[in-house]
Amino acid sequence: MRLPFISLFIIIATSVSLHAETVTVITKQSAIRESCRFFSPVKATVHYNDVLEIISKEGEWYKVKFEAVQGCIHKSSIEKKSISLSNLVGSEKQSTSGDEVALAGKGFNPQVEAAYQKENPSLNFRAVDRVESYDTSESKLIQFIQSGKLNLQ
Amino acid sequence: MKEHLYLKLILIFLLAGCSSVDIGSIGRVAQQTFKAATPLSDEEEYYVGRAVAARILSSYPILENIELTDYVNLVGQTVAIHSDNPITYGGYHFAVLNTKEINAFACPGGIIFITKGMINAVQNEDELAAVLAHEVAHINHRDGVSSIQKARLTEVATLIGTEAAQTYAPAQLSQLVGLFEGSVDDVFKTLVVNGYSKSQEYHADESGLSYLSRAGYNPEALEDFLQRLMNQGQATGGGIMKTHPATAERIEKVEKEMPSAKVDISFVQLRSMRFEKAMK
Repeated sequence: MRLPFISLFIIIATSVSLHAETVTVITKQSAIRESCRFFSPVKATVHYNDVLEIISKEGEWYKVKFEAVQGCIHKSSIEKKSISLSNLVGSEKQSTSGDEVALAGKGFNPQVEAAYQKENPSLNFRAVDRVESYDTSESKLIQFIQSGKLNLQ
Repeated sequence: MKEHLYLKLILIFLLAGCSSVDIGSIGRVAQQTFKAATPLSDEEEYYVGRAVAARILSSYPILENIELTDYVNLVGQTVAIHSDNPITYGGYHFAVLNTKEINAFACPGGIIFITKGMINAVQNEDELAAVLAHEVAHINHRDGVSSIQKARLTEVATLIGTEAAQTYAPAQLSQLVGLFEGSVDDVFKTLVVNGYSKSQEYHADESGLSYLSRAGYNPEALEDFLQRLMNQGQATGGGIMKTHPATAERIEKVEKEMPSAKVDISFVQLRSMRFEKAMK
């Protein structure tokens, strides 16, 4: 009598833990790198709200799988979101849950910023866009760090 | 007795399977609880930071000097990747403000402004890195957004509630824009008018020393810079200098927290040469 219940419970508990081993990208975009360090070659670029499967943890980095790509992503690019229970029962869906999607982009978002800009036309958002466009390439940064006898990692 | 317990557990899962709507709601509650623990998401913090930056840039023009801006970005990015939070939603971006004021501002999310006056006040690359490390620390610690009145954030959470739509109706949008404006005001006042609290400044110094040391910069550069400003009677103003703690007190704390690792002074001199080149 007891055994079937225990087995069923283990199966359900296992499925819960499997679903829990995912993280969500919380940056506009981030790199999945070949090895777990900055400046390692980029294997893929992931975007906000992409869901990655965790393989293992290496210090500040996670080894993850995204579609067919395996590589490393820094912990500050990702977040473990709480599990949507609707995903745990009879669902094959591996991607982000409906609730996660619903909350992503909510609150202070582009629509709110656009309305705020409209109400405050004197604010210099064009200059902010310019500042955000300043891009330091990885190769240039590596050269800068090395020529200044600084630490790459 | 134990069998009853197993039965109860299984019933919970089976009941869950019977009503996907109810379970979806539980999932939503879990999400909201998570959100409450971190009042603003990184994405929301980014939008607040952009608006704060827009307000600052409405008062101070950007210095049009591509070489210097590139150089400041290289120093800043070097420090940022050695910080505790090297990647933010929109990334770190550094710009120079064309004013003689000695000042620096860390907008939530990763935009950092340093004034030309501040750049003129530092004597070498390591001191510039020290100023930027302090500002990066404020972003890591989320000191800017922590000044937003809690009531506003509670109201935002209530307003967005359980709505599935990401596009707001006019009435809801109007309320959110009001809360957004209030939040931007709170952060702006802290950055530009009132300054951070003593503990936030000390903590930013402490973390800044750590980032400098990890990056290979001389952490003593922070102490040297603060000491010189104090001696010159310039330890007032805004941003990094507009602090509640007296600079002497800050220097004392910085000395106590100084990392023990020694830095090759010849490397500091090597970096000073490229600093001087960037200043021309």
